[in-house]
Amino acid sequence: MASDLLSIALSGARAARIGLDVTAHNIANAGTDGYVRRSISLSEVSGSGIADRGQDISLSGVRLSSIVRNADLFRQAEVRRTGADAARAGAEVRGLENIAAAVEQSRVYPAMVDFEGSLQRLASDPTDASLRSGVIEAARTLSGTFNIAAEGLDGVADGLQFEATAGVTQVNTLAGELARVNLRLARASDASSDQSTLLDQRDSLLEQVSKFGTVSTSFATDGQVTVRMGSGTGPLLVDGGTANPLSMTISGTDTLTFSLAGGPLALPGGSLAGQALSLDKLATVRSDLNALADSVRDAVNAAQTAGVALDGSTGTPLFTGSGAAGMTLAFSSGALLATAPAGAPAGSRDPGNLDALRSALATSDPAGGLDALIFDISSTVSSRRVTQGALDTIAGNARIALEAQAGVDLDEEAVNLVRFQQAFQASSKAMQAASTIFDTLLGLR
Amino acid sequence: MTIVNTSTSAFYERALMGLNSLRGEAENLQSSLASGQKFASSADDPVASSRLRQLARGTTLSTIDTANAQRAASDLQLADGAMSSFASYLTRVKELAVQASTATLTPAQRVSIGAEISAIRQNVIALANSRDIAGHALFGGEAGGSAYAVDAAGNATYIGTATAGELPLGEGQTVNRGLTGPEFLNFNVAGAPTDLLAVMKTLGDALQGGVADPQGAAHGSLDALDAGLEKLTTAQSVIGSRLAWIELTNDRRVDMGELRSGEEAEVGGTDIASTVAKLQQAMTVLEASQASFSRLAQLSLFDVLR
Repeated sequence: MASDLLSIALSGARAARIGLDVTAHNIANAGTDGYVRRSISLSEVSGSGIADRGQDISLSGVRLSSIVRNADLFRQAEVRRTGADAARAGAEVRGLENIAAAVEQSRVYPAMVDFEGSLQRLASDPTDASLRSGVIEAARTLSGTFNIAAEGLDGVADGLQFEATAGVTQVNTLAGELARVNLRLARASDASSDQSTLLDQRDSLLEQVSKFGTVSTSFATDGQVTVRMGSGTGPLLVDGGTANPLSMTISGTDTLTFSLAGGPLALPGGSLAGQALSLDKLATVRSDLNALADSVRDAVNAAQTAGVALDGSTGTPLFTGSGAAGMTLAFSSGALLATAPAGAPAGSRDPGNLDALRSALATSDPAGGLDALIFDISSTVSSRRVTQGALDTIAGNARIALEAQAGVDLDEEAVNLVRFQQAFQASSKAMQAASTIFDTLLGLR
Repeated sequence: MTIVNTSTSAFYERALMGLNSLRGEAENLQSSLASGQKFASSADDPVASSRLRQLARGTTLSTIDTANAQRAASDLQLADGAMSSFASYLTRVKELAVQASTATLTPAQRVSIGAEISAIRQNVIALANSRDIAGHALFGGEAGGSAYAVDAAGNATYIGTATAGELPLGEGQTVNRGLTGPEFLNFNVAGAPTDLLAVMKTLGDALQGGVADPQGAAHGSLDALDAGLEKLTTAQSVIGSRLAWIELTNDRRVDMGELRSGEEAEVGGTDIASTVAKLQQAMTVLEASQASFSRLAQLSLFDVLR
């Protein structure tokens, strides 16, 4: 007889031990990010009958055929795709919120209204020194708030560029890691615990890269991954053991362009795409703000030079510098405000030129322009928030679906512990039986 | 989404997502209660925030309009008061002229009447040069300094500007801020333009021996004084109607202000009753999910298997 009860029981006990080990490993990694639940796959060991002795029983127990990694490629790809979209929306909303705050919290709109109000108040008595200095102070506040808004936008641009630069560095580091994992996967033996760990690492790296930019992946049979960025036909990021460097250039207006493997790269998703989109919006907002600052400066200066100051001299420009960042006051003496029309004597209370300035401001309507600018940014933020909410939910659900399938369920592991413990005890019982049989045989007299 | 196999981490992640969103909702409601504003930033409701900005602008400018209107009203009231004084002086001068035109007076008496008229004229010139609340000539239009200059011979000439200028009262409405001297002191007598100060000077000089027939001169001046009084009364009623116009725009501004604050409260203010109810609802749901989460999280097979 070819079977050996003791060795069969031993193989069973060994299989149960491995089962317990894997279960304990699963429990230990229940909270590990990117860990995919392992299970054991067993197969029977039995010899086929030899010629002429076909009726012989040849049983040799059980052996471990492989450790199975319960990963679902489709759900993983979904997590990467939706995660990239959510990361883009998140980065874009954060950037846009900062842009909106920079413009709105600079309080440039109330300052504009106060400047208009101070001119209106001056109309009641154009020669009053305190009303004149009120106009000067309102103008100072206005140019100051324009400066603050421009500085705020610069700060937001710096922050976004810093984040994007860090993201590019991170992508390059992760791509290098992926290339190394690819090389080691090529050498790892099939279905070994080493391979499972490398595959876990590969999937976790891919998910991290996808947070920065959309990736499309294709897998070889040995588990090696080829990564393209952008669309499915985009440039290669990782191919086998080589990683191509991703680089980023910053334009004069602070907008971002990416290039990979020597060619341009269009990113539809990922935080890098979100930061690029925010910076595009920032460039528009900044040029709008500059145009508004210039229109205020031009309207006020044109009126100033058309009239005469309190001492009868021809008016001089009130604002100098260009753009919101450069706007400064040219003089700080209220007496130099040209409220009277050209030709009026010194000390004239004729508000002709002041009226001209007020109607010029009413026509160019910078307060309305600022209101429209703030409305434009805040409505963009508001609509992107809706998109972000939807994308977050989709990404969260994809993540939960993957975890529900690939993650560790402690209840199931508790059941497995009991099951393998019982199998171990049963196998030892079989050993005991073999021993009893042997003793019985020895005891024959 | 049906989840067949619930992994432990998926359970925790789902619970966290739910609890986080409930907590965020409750905090938003709390902050809108604390600030009294429905929106924390413009992005919460861009259209309403833009409307609120425009309303705030209207309120700011309306405050300045109110101050301007008050200023115009006080200037006009000053002018009104000055004109009442003009009228009483003029009445006195007319009494004196009537007295001087009677034949029973002695020349000495006429001279003393002439002296009184000259003295009254000095007061009238001082009154014409009176200042408004900002210290400018009340009847000098838009000029700085005095409205009338008196030369060595005692002749008064108007040195102000032609008009008093307009003051904006908001929403496109304006009011003339005052009257210039010539607008109520100059008039025509028998087709010839003259002014009250000149008439009084001529009369005073004539009674003090400037002409051969002072009695005739006094008699002749009566028409001019009547015309002057009439002009003054007309000007005073013009000022009264301007004050009424300011009153009207004030009422309108108050109405508009009430409308604005009503709209502001409606668009941007927190409706306390409904917000508190929503907060209560959010808190109840949050507490329930926290309780159910802690019960579910305690549920472990490891505690049961021994």
